[in-house]
Amino acid sequence: MLVYIVQRVLTALVTLFGMSVLIFVLLRLVPGDIVDIIFSSAGFVNPAAKVELARELGLDRPIALQYVRWLEELAEGNLGKSYRYDVPAWQVVKPRLPVTLELAILAILIAVVLGVFTGVLSAARQDSALDYALSLLSLAGLSMPSFWLGMMIILFLVSWAGWIPSMVYVSPREDLRAHLLQFVFPALAVGYRGSALIMRITRSSMLEVLGEDYIRTARAKGQREWPVIFGHALRNAILPIITVIGFEFAFMIGGLVVTETVFNLPGVARYLVDAILWRDYPVAQNLVMLIGVAVVVVNLSVDLLYGWLDPRIRYGAT
Amino acid sequence: MRKRFHRLVFCAFCSILIATTASAAQAPKHGGILNATLIEAPPSFSIHEEVTISTVWPMMPCYNNLVIFDPLKKQESLETIIPELAEKWTLQDGGKSLVFFLRKDVKWHDGQPFTSKDVKHTFDTVREAPGITAKLRVNPRQLWYENVESIDASTPDAVVFRLKRPESSLLLMLASGYSPIYPAHIPVSELRSKCVGTGPFKLKEYRQGELIEMVKNPDYFIKGRPYLDGIRYTIIKDRSTRYAALQAGRQDIPFIWEVARMPAEAAKRAVPKLVMIESSTNVNDHILVNLTKPLFKDPKLRLAITLAVDRQGYVQAGRQGAAILGGVMLPRPYGAWGLPEAEQKKIPGFGDPVKQKADAKKLLAELGYGPSKPLKIAVSTRAIPIYVDIAGYIMDQFRQVGIQSTLEQVETGVWHAKMTRREFDVAVSATGIGPDDPDANLYENFKCGSPRNYSAYCSDEVDRMIEQQSQTLERDKRLKLVNEIDKRLQLDGARMMLGWSKEYVAMWPYVKNVVPHQSIYNYGRMQEVWLDK
Repeated sequence: MLVYIVQRVLTALVTLFGMSVLIFVLLRLVPGDIVDIIFSSAGFVNPAAKVELARELGLDRPIALQYVRWLEELAEGNLGKSYRYDVPAWQVVKPRLPVTLELAILAILIAVVLGVFTGVLSAARQDSALDYALSLLSLAGLSMPSFWLGMMIILFLVSWAGWIPSMVYVSPREDLRAHLLQFVFPALAVGYRGSALIMRITRSSMLEVLGEDYIRTARAKGQREWPVIFGHALRNAILPIITVIGFEFAFMIGGLVVTETVFNLPGVARYLVDAILWRDYPVAQNLVMLIGVAVVVVNLSVDLLYGWLDPRIRYGAT
Repeated sequence: MRKRFHRLVFCAFCSILIATTASAAQAPKHGGILNATLIEAPPSFSIHEEVTISTVWPMMPCYNNLVIFDPLKKQESLETIIPELAEKWTLQDGGKSLVFFLRKDVKWHDGQPFTSKDVKHTFDTVREAPGITAKLRVNPRQLWYENVESIDASTPDAVVFRLKRPESSLLLMLASGYSPIYPAHIPVSELRSKCVGTGPFKLKEYRQGELIEMVKNPDYFIKGRPYLDGIRYTIIKDRSTRYAALQAGRQDIPFIWEVARMPAEAAKRAVPKLVMIESSTNVNDHILVNLTKPLFKDPKLRLAITLAVDRQGYVQAGRQGAAILGGVMLPRPYGAWGLPEAEQKKIPGFGDPVKQKADAKKLLAELGYGPSKPLKIAVSTRAIPIYVDIAGYIMDQFRQVGIQSTLEQVETGVWHAKMTRREFDVAVSATGIGPDDPDANLYENFKCGSPRNYSAYCSDEVDRMIEQQSQTLERDKRLKLVNEIDKRLQLDGARMMLGWSKEYVAMWPYVKNVVPHQSIYNYGRMQEVWLDK
């Protein structure tokens, strides 16, 4: 098991290094930098001032040196200074992290509960009206982008109740009810889409397991249906479901970008778009790296969970 | 007779009652927080270093100018300029000295007294006067003060702008929202992230990218102002969400540059109580041809391009009716310097579209272009929906006369740099002008060598005319000159003008005294705004 863990951690580290190079280079391949953006819209351009600003921000140095400097700063735990806001990047990112994390966790909870439950139900009642209805529901979830669904929720709320959640972040300490109301709708929008995929995988995985001999045996022994489904079938069908949950959680950040914008939540995902548009390299590259780390960590956790859940993988690795 | 008398008394009583009630209803009320909207976080708080309404709009309440356009008068002109930090002003030395007499009862938000030194510091910094140590990171409006020779602040309550030559526009530029007075005792760099002004509101809190909260300045030098206790500028990036927030009553007023007509009308239909105000943005749409490219140096070709485009069609298809036709200067009734309608109609491109298209085809044929050898050009525009819509319309117009065009959408971040480097054939663009003043527009956009003169148009004669109008203090004479320049620029194809967009502001009826001007940059002070709740 130890070798298996070490192998996975090493792979993760190599992935992170490759990712850091890609992020760094790709951001700089996008035409224009912040100096261009600041000066070009200003109309009157003093070339000397432009050069001075580029020097001040370290953009005049060779790209390789800039990369090394970034890694050094990362190693020191310093995320650099936001070009746009002229303050440490961490100061900008820090208050936004809990917002995105809370939304992502709520959304994945909704996705898991809804997806697993409807998937199991659908498999248990295969080819019934309920199965078709749930399949339709999941198909709708897969077809609707979460930002569109979010916008529909907002428009529905405003036209039906003449109300929408607060447009300014309300902390739970300030007003718990308002806070929950602010998060539950975007979490629903994102979570519903996630639930659709989980539901499809759960259903197909469950159908496969429900056809196995040991399920038939359990039923033949007179066990009641639901303990058979949850105690035997789901337990054995869980591996592909966990993989999908892992992926969904990791890639949820992408879905959150627009959802945070639609619900006006001040999270990192929304801020990332701003940072890229402004070529605010320190913020953009650190945020993308952060998301990358999250994806790698989730994948690593899923791999380790696999090993823990399935001895065949564990022993196969050793 | 007696009955008639009683009726008369009753009517008089009713009239008095109605008049009293109405006047009581209109008496400004103190208190309340105005929920205003922004569409993006300001790049910084330093108005002098920025070129965006996203900075000017939320920061204007923090500062004061020497003078300002009357916030309650829609039409901005020299006549609507009112005192602010200057109590009065006068022109001396045949128009070569502009003297301001300052208020003596003004304090900065940190308690320091305001003096003429602050005025000198501000404008010496902006014009980068010799010997000044304060430096703006970006200085977009240095050209505005090119004609200022020196600023004399030898007495604390008066300041003299000494000019190289008489200039009628300086006062207008000083009245713009882009001309706040900065405190001399605070480094300019600090004002990028905080705000120390003399204005009616102080900065209470800034949550980056989310919220700017202002609170009433209790020591404001105008007694009884502001009416509001505070202003909350919430940053809402998504347009549909902004309108939903307005409809739900979370926001009292939209972002003031929310120009689109259809969503404003939709909001009004959904919530009939909302009031919708139509105004002008002082932003014009136009076609730029790159005059550094040999192809476009031919006046015949430029004429064919401008004749190809039906301007009425642009108003309907490109702007959904939310624009007016006009030339280089904002047309009447919104502007004071535009060409009269009859004159504008004579400009190529503004006449009968069918005849003009035929003329365009004829011109192209004379130049050797036709179905077998079509003129092929790239049309560049910003990757913003309204720009792309208009560019799409223009390309269709080109197609109708046999010009084949391909669309190049350019991201905002590199748009201006690309234009400045003249990396385009034909571009569909929009330009916002600060104050409705010929100097503010002509120098920046049409003078030889100006970086924002994107088409690289250059005429010594027009430059001379621009200088001449600037020095003409008599308004009628100046107007005549400006009209001549306007016509000349359009005939030369310096910019092929399409029209001037209009804005539609939907807001709640209880918000009083938010009066959209013809320039969005000049009426954000908010000291007269009150809530009738």
